[in-house]
Amino acid sequence: MINLRDKGADIWERSNRIERTFIALGFIALAASLPFFGGTFLNTPIADYESVLVYPIAMFVLMAIGLNIVIGKSGLLDLGYVAFFAIGAYTMGLLGTRTSLNTWEILPIGIAMAMFSGVILGVPALKLRGDYLAIITLGFGEIVRIVALNLGTLGRSEGILNIPTPPSVFGVEYSFDSHRIYYWTLLILILFAIWMVRRLSVRRAGRAWESIRQDEDAAELMGVPTFKYKVWAFVLGASVGGAAGVFYASKTLFIAPDNFTLQISILILACVVFGGMGNIWGVILGAVILGYLPDRIRFLSDARLLVFGLVLVIMMNLRPDGLLPRKKREKPLPKQVQ
Amino acid sequence: MSNSIISLKNVTMKFGGVTALNDVTFDVKQGEILGLIGPNGAGKTTVFNVITGVYQITSGAIDFDGKSLSGTKRYKITKRGIARTFQNIRLWGDMTALENVVTATDTHKKSGLLSGLFGMPISRKEEKRDKARAQELLDFIGIGEYADRLARNLPYGVQRRLEIARALGTNPKLVLLDEPAAGFNPSEKVELAATIRKIRDAGYTVLLIEHDMSLVMKVSDRVVVLDFGQKIADDVPNKVQNDPRVIEAYLGVPEDAS
Repeated sequence: MINLRDKGADIWERSNRIERTFIALGFIALAASLPFFGGTFLNTPIADYESVLVYPIAMFVLMAIGLNIVIGKSGLLDLGYVAFFAIGAYTMGLLGTRTSLNTWEILPIGIAMAMFSGVILGVPALKLRGDYLAIITLGFGEIVRIVALNLGTLGRSEGILNIPTPPSVFGVEYSFDSHRIYYWTLLILILFAIWMVRRLSVRRAGRAWESIRQDEDAAELMGVPTFKYKVWAFVLGASVGGAAGVFYASKTLFIAPDNFTLQISILILACVVFGGMGNIWGVILGAVILGYLPDRIRFLSDARLLVFGLVLVIMMNLRPDGLLPRKKREKPLPKQVQ
Repeated sequence: MSNSIISLKNVTMKFGGVTALNDVTFDVKQGEILGLIGPNGAGKTTVFNVITGVYQITSGAIDFDGKSLSGTKRYKITKRGIARTFQNIRLWGDMTALENVVTATDTHKKSGLLSGLFGMPISRKEEKRDKARAQELLDFIGIGEYADRLARNLPYGVQRRLEIARALGTNPKLVLLDEPAAGFNPSEKVELAATIRKIRDAGYTVLLIEHDMSLVMKVSDRVVVLDFGQKIADDVPNKVQNDPRVIEAYLGVPEDAS
């Protein structure tokens, strides 16, 4: 199989600053133009193509980038990531319907709430490792959903209705059926998340996460404050999930506990693993495919999930490290020492 | 005693019913190479583990640089100036040799996650400074040309040396080397002995665990011998070599003599 990751990385490495800018802008333009391909083979039968682009595709991409910080970079198995998505969404739902704050004002609050809950979960849970951490996070995801299901203020199983759409900015109107506007806004959030992850990856935080993932004890003995950086990974992952949640609530106008089941956590995890843990481009590709595929094959009706599962199984057998695995490249050694 | 950098006083380490270290007392003096030897299971690596905070000692005291180490978190012990290598190599395999060392230098960075994210000048400055420092250390240890190779793919001997370079990356006062010559051939051992001396001459204090007697005797200024968790000798190499208790520990006592 052609090694797309190495090919891509090669081209990137050989390019200069201007070429790189063009490559990046090209990809952004391509992503931004996706809503115009509704009439082509990309179209999703039955489901509305542009709405699929917003949810699940763009939402999944955003969440997968966030979860990748936790799982891919730091190696912490988080099975309750949907909790942060839910916390962001309920923050929007609650504040949007009960106060006069608008979506843009609630966005930072939602992110802060998700980050805060990341600390609440992270501080006790991150003292544990591996399977134990996975179980705790799994429990946390369920707790958040069940609290929403039982708390009167959060609407119990009816959820929250009539959540306002974002007010217009610079003359851009957000209405319920203007999907492409939401899609482009999400694209901006995604670009911001990519910037954040790429920035951190090459600095101290990225190295700390890498070392924790590969050998946590060695990391701690080499002076890495492991606990602090693990909590940071949780908190940053949560912030991205929270942002996705706020936007989700403001888009669908109605949220209920059923939107935040364990299945979402598993799906986002699947995006990360399927695409290539630790490689942000792989993760994005994985999320695009796994978000898109179920709606593309919706005409299969009941056999849809069977086919979806089969694709996952086959792909993971062919490419166990994901579509675009993490970097394993290195510069060739100078001749004399080979 | 004023010039001792670390001192263990009556250190006892018990794991349930097993006493791994029994009332061990010794100190390492500033600028010396102290060899720590003993038969398998004597407690040598346990000494490293209690010093670096992997285990909390059952009783006794460990003072480093005049202050107690008890209750100090592991990464803070490293920050205070103790670094180690591992008996079974524990590098971060998916990172390059240089990244391994840079990660160690992060110990003393003032900039953290946020200043890195927002590209503050201090973060940029420290990144640049520590990358240069890491390359310097790789050159110092003699593996500079491997800087951009993934640690996982390095030859065994280079990995062992990289462990030392990484330990030095934390800018320690005391370096603990856990069997750095394990698996080396004789000529590599000679090179390593030179490297260890070079490390000492650069101002570090070295505590060395090693099974190769000729290497230990050659490089050490002083040797401490452990047997079944107890210190049985503490002297200059040639005295230790002729100590009957040491010979007994290593070779056993002839049956008719006991």
